Amino acid sequence: MRSLRREPALLLALLAVIVLVLLFVVYPQVQVGVAPGFSGYLSFLEGGTWRIPLQNSLKVTALSTTTAVLLGFVYAYAMVYSQMRWKAFFNLIGILPLLSPPFVVAASYLLLFGNRGIITYGVFGQSPNPYGITGIWGVQTIAFFPFAYQLIADVLSRSDARMEQAARNLGASPWRVFWTVTLPLSRPGLAAAILTTAIYVLEDFGNPQLLGGLVTVLPTQAYSLISGFGDYTSAAAVCTILLLLALGLYVAKIRLDGGRSFVTISGRASSMPRPPVPAALSWACFVGCLALAGLILLVYGTLLVSALTFAFPYNLRLTIEHFQYVATGSNGDALRNTLFFSAAAAAISAVFALFAGWLVQRGEWPGRRLLDFLLIMPAAIPGIFFGIGYLTAFNQPWLDWVDRSWLIVLALVFWNIPVGYQAAAAGLRQIDRSIEEAATSLGASKLRGFWDVVRPMLGGSLRVGFVTTFVRAVTTLSLVIFLFTPPTTVATIRIYQLVNDLDWGGAAAFTVADISLAIVALVVFAFLARGRLVLGAARA
Amino acid sequence: MPETAHVQVSHLTKRFGGVTAVDDVTFDVPKGAFATLLGPSGCGKTTTLRVIAGFYDPDAGDIRIGGRRVNDLPAHRRGTAMVFQDYALFPHMTVRDNVAYGLRVARVKANERDRRVNETLAFVGLQGMGERWPNQLSGGQQQRVAVARALVIEPQVLLLDEPLSNLDAKLREQLRVELRTMQRRLGMTFVYVTHDQEEALSLSDWIAVMNQGRVEQAGDPWEIYYHPRTAFLADFVGAVNLVPARVTELADGAVTVTFGPHRAAVRRPRETALSVGQDVRLCVRPESFTIAAAGAVPNGITLSGSVARRAFLGDTMRYWVKVDDREWIVDQPDPGAGAPLDGPVSLSLRPERVHVIPD
Ligand SMILES: Nc1ncnc2c1ncn2[C@@H]1O[C@H](COP(=O)(O)OP(=O)(O)O)[C@@H](O)[C@H]1O
Ligand SMILES: [Mg+2]
Repeated sequence: MRSLRREPALLLALLAVIVLVLLFVVYPQVQVGVAPGFSGYLSFLEGGTWRIPLQNSLKVTALSTTTAVLLGFVYAYAMVYSQMRWKAFFNLIGILPLLSPPFVVAASYLLLFGNRGIITYGVFGQSPNPYGITGIWGVQTIAFFPFAYQLIADVLSRSDARMEQAARNLGASPWRVFWTVTLPLSRPGLAAAILTTAIYVLEDFGNPQLLGGLVTVLPTQAYSLISGFGDYTSAAAVCTILLLLALGLYVAKIRLDGGRSFVTISGRASSMPRPPVPAALSWACFVGCLALAGLILLVYGTLLVSALTFAFPYNLRLTIEHFQYVATGSNGDALRNTLFFSAAAAAISAVFALFAGWLVQRGEWPGRRLLDFLLIMPAAIPGIFFGIGYLTAFNQPWLDWVDRSWLIVLALVFWNIPVGYQAAAAGLRQIDRSIEEAATSLGASKLRGFWDVVRPMLGGSLRVGFVTTFVRAVTTLSLVIFLFTPPTTVATIRIYQLVNDLDWGGAAAFTVADISLAIVALVVFAFLARGRLVLGAARA
Repeated sequence: MPETAHVQVSHLTKRFGGVTAVDDVTFDVPKGAFATLLGPSGCGKTTTLRVIAGFYDPDAGDIRIGGRRVNDLPAHRRGTAMVFQDYALFPHMTVRDNVAYGLRVARVKANERDRRVNETLAFVGLQGMGERWPNQLSGGQQQRVAVARALVIEPQVLLLDEPLSNLDAKLREQLRVELRTMQRRLGMTFVYVTHDQEEALSLSDWIAVMNQGRVEQAGDPWEIYYHPRTAFLADFVGAVNLVPARVTELADGAVTVTFGPHRAAVRRPRETALSVGQDVRLCVRPESFTIAAAGAVPNGITLSGSVARRAFLGDTMRYWVKVDDREWIVDQPDPGAGAPLDGPVSLSLRPERVHVIPD
């Protein structure tokens, strides 16, 4: 604290960060939380309209999380432990879903299994009803098992290969080692991975919205209350219930893993080789992964093919008509908006998070634990809640002079703050304090030391923060669904609208374009990172 | 050496939660001195140094540098520079940029900056290494860069926290000499932290020995080594014989003690009050003895015993000599001069080499 008083510039910077966090993280959430008022909550709770959606949310979350985690576990085990072939390929396929809006799985599912679906109708001549809990369950399983895979693989690859090697040398079989050494050691990490997956599922808006039919879950209920009835009060109350559930899961997760990141896009550290598993097991892993990768390819292949043909599956002539449609007029604007909003948000969010992370991790002032919590908390806030928060707080007549784009950009910035913040915290843990102190003792103020020494050394964290935020911004639907206006429409909104209009070709082409944006970002990122590796090698 | 105090620490206390790392510490470092804080690991040396540097705020007490109270100055305005145990070089800057950093922050003009960087690199023996990256240097070279980076800004006081502890023994000895030479040539005040008593004794003009957050004794190395005020100090700064004894007579400048069947008149310590009948300890360094085969001409205090064990240390031979029922550690310099002793020996000791410590 005294050190802050001695450096007024640092104090000002800290106050600025606190004010921004209060304004753009805390204030909108509080607005939603208090919007219904006490009597509002009472009559809402008495009304009981929340009971069924709550039950559905819980049921769907339990079902989808279970299956997604099981499949994700198989994939992760195979990737980390087995000696199967094609690992590079499976790794690539496993990343693909992270780069796409989760709800396009629902679109693909409707194309394949809907009442005019390619498989159900085209192959079997049936017109089943694809809507309802089962549909949501199946789609969410496929949409989120890749996330579960990333989280679980991260935990498994952190387990100590030396310990497993030692157990094997003592004569234990691979399975035995896995059950008696690896699993017990990774249990907290695995539990945290399960909870994180559960949060993803719980907060999913797009899939239940497209597939729910008459079945509502909490996020879709909040949406229809606003879009159908303009009932902000009840929507806020529904959102609050949703937030409490998510926060509960999140707090439990933090207890388990100390608030380690949700899926961020960075190279996982290559671990030391693990003891080999029997060939038969590797083959089983291979077959399992092939099936799962096949599912993923089916989802995205369907979209790619329908994006490239006139009217899949009835008219399979190749065309670029859908892409032309996507690139022109308001659609082109939406795509451009996505690019600009996401890039701006990712840049601002990564830089702000890095600076805030440094202030919190290195500072010695009262209240830093609270700021730490506030910077991590948005990870637990459902996009739909965050969006309604910004709508309630900032969609005010006296703010009409501000370009609406800012509302979306700011929402993206602060919703994604935890990504960059956790990357910065992880990076700072690698940098000894004495390096900063060296700068200070040579005459640099703390802020100057941050700029000259910490910032250049945290380039990796900055890139991870930027790319992950960019990808999350490109793929989110729930956050922006209440914030867009016709001139500020983004790709995910258009995809959602086109699916609703049953314009499959357009929706598919839009999805392909959207995913391409994310892939380009990732490739540029990998290129930049390689550039640094090359530089490092030249120096070594 | 000029005797004006340059760094003054008064009644300094620093706590971390429940741990009192530094407990009411007071000392003055003379201007231009090579001053050392010596003590076992965890005794609060680093904490003291970091409070002086401004990295920690003290819970109580004042720090003055050149007579000016610096408690309220941030670390970067104190005129101190620090050399860290792990060097803390900036990994993303070349050697030259590392060394130039402080000058750049101080907005020194480019041509003067270059001149001073070159001079300093030459001073620490790193000519021609300016374009290397820190990870291309050996540990010793990295340490030189760390020193150069701190020296180049011409701080009033240079603070060094165990700068040699990560180096191997040979290099440590070499850099020790170099550091001492640099300090002499620059006439700069150094405050040096180490847990290595040999290092402290060989480098310093002035030593403060710390234990459990307090300064046990401060003074010149000679004083600390031969006239420690407590048994802890005697033991910490080198091998020692600590023998229980009793005061039987007090005179001006002399004190008569009995230990076992022996009786001797030895130097009376100036700063400790003694009374007849008091239990004390005699502190005798192993090299203070002369050891010879039994029957040699006695000189001063003489003890007869027999060799129990011995160890060849290269420059000395160390004997454990059994006298009555206790073993004395005795060092014989230049052991190559004759065959190692065995069997009965006699030890002789000049009375002024015995130091009395109250029990
Ligand atoms: N930043 C800190 N936080 C908590 N305790 C500390 C910190 N720094 C030092 N201590 C404690 O203070 C005591 C003195 O530490 P230190 O000054 O580093 O000792 P030395 O440098 O002599 O080995 C130790 O008990 C240590 O555990
Ligand atoms: Mg220390």
